Amino acid sequence: MQAYIQGRNVNLTFRPPNRGPVRALQNFDIDIGEGEFLSIVGPSGCGKSTFLNVLLGLIRPDSGDIRMDGKPLAGPGTDRAMVFQEFGLLPWRTVQHNVELGLELKGMAGEARRQVSQPLIEMIGLAGFEGHFPHELSGGMKQRVGLARALATDPNVLLMDEPFAALDAQTRDLMQVELLRIWQTAKKTVLFVTHQIDEAIYLSDRVMVMTKRPGRAKKIFKIDLPRPRDYEMRVTPEFNELKLEIWNELKDEITV
Amino acid sequence: MSDEAAPRQSFTDKHRKVLLGFLAVAMFIAAWQAAFLFVPFNKLFISKPDLIWNALIDLIVSGDLLRDLAVSAAPFLYGFSAAVIVGVPLGVVMGWRAPVRYTLDPIMTIFYASPLVALAPLVIVFFGVGVSGKAIIIFVLSVFPFIFNAQAGVRAIDPLLINVVRSLGGSERDLYLKVLIPGVLPYIVAGARIAVGRGLIGILVGEFFAASEGIGYAIARFGDLFALDKMFACILAIMVIAVVLTEGIRWAERAAFPWRVGQ
Repeated sequence: MQAYIQGRNVNLTFRPPNRGPVRALQNFDIDIGEGEFLSIVGPSGCGKSTFLNVLLGLIRPDSGDIRMDGKPLAGPGTDRAMVFQEFGLLPWRTVQHNVELGLELKGMAGEARRQVSQPLIEMIGLAGFEGHFPHELSGGMKQRVGLARALATDPNVLLMDEPFAALDAQTRDLMQVELLRIWQTAKKTVLFVTHQIDEAIYLSDRVMVMTKRPGRAKKIFKIDLPRPRDYEMRVTPEFNELKLEIWNELKDEITV
Repeated sequence: MSDEAAPRQSFTDKHRKVLLGFLAVAMFIAAWQAAFLFVPFNKLFISKPDLIWNALIDLIVSGDLLRDLAVSAAPFLYGFSAAVIVGVPLGVVMGWRAPVRYTLDPIMTIFYASPLVALAPLVIVFFGVGVSGKAIIIFVLSVFPFIFNAQAGVRAIDPLLINVVRSLGGSERDLYLKVLIPGVLPYIVAGARIAVGRGLIGILVGEFFAASEGIGYAIARFGDLFALDKMFACILAIMVIAVVLTEGIRWAERAAFPWRVGQ
């Protein structure tokens, strides 16, 4: 398999002022296939979110080789977009203008932006809320806007940093279903960071377990559950077996 | 139908907040007036609401009040505009660039906390009793709320929003236009409310020290002449202007920043 995103020997150490250096990533390797849904689970602070920010182009690693579609990664680009845990919506922008932010930054004209944003707003089920401000939306609605904003620039890769962690359990379940539906139609490569093993198995083609800091890939699980997946799948023996296997791999890395 | 379902509200229930506020003002005025039924009244030392009201009407009809206000308005506008033009960019840069903040914050804090009106006589000596001297006093007093509020506004911006704009390919200019300025504007408007009060103090103090016209000069002169009803009438005019300006800004704030409602 020719990996679409390939990371080799990625090392990153944070050097915060007034504190000792923190090794976030050490010899981190990763391969993600085109159109693949890969989840990363790992203990808190293992560097999984850091790696997303590296891929996004916001943080430069100290060393290592990261390629996307064969080309070395250089800074942020519209071929990647992130969905953030805390949504990151601009509070002074309406739903529509938040969705259009990336298009605006690309210099697209108002009418063309609207042609892109309107179908997306309908897809995420927020038609009629175009003029609402973020503070008027529920958490689930905000994250739908976050997702639509990420999709608006039509990136090949969707980076998702615990996107549903701030939502209540029921909303989270619905958002997972929604995300799968969108992923299956939009054909994006997704790198999804989460704490929840259930969520990782339910959504992914493969699940990577990371070690505690400094983070490395510990083991990768292939999830051979058939698609399209439904909610009932979560109570099948196969699902629970995978869950147990992943948990056994993960639990040694977690220190309370 | 739905109106009937809702509990009936009388006029007094609906406007309770406004009515209670006005009631307090009315009682204050009534008590002031009534006090002289028991206390001997000497118009050289004190005045009372009915006399002040009559004096105010006189000053308005004669045009004196308007003329003095117009004289004072010019330096106020110059000084206040300069405070916005200097204070906002300075505050934004102080908020955005840590070294600038570390350098300027102590000296700015000292100036903000000090009773700068004490410098008024010096300013008058340097710049004279005309428009420029008064404008400088007003500038010095009203610039600091803009500096500190703009700075607070920048620092209150969620760093995540900066990352969002950067990750979507935004430039440094985009950061200013899409994040910093919209985030800071409400803080600047809030700063303007404070600055208006300080600026009005500036105009009065400037004209108390040395002036031949203007509302501050009128207050000082009527005081010296023991025309206390006219003095209070001028003070009342200043009070009304202060309330109208600050409440006007508050109203504009709600209209201009609807997204602030939920914050």
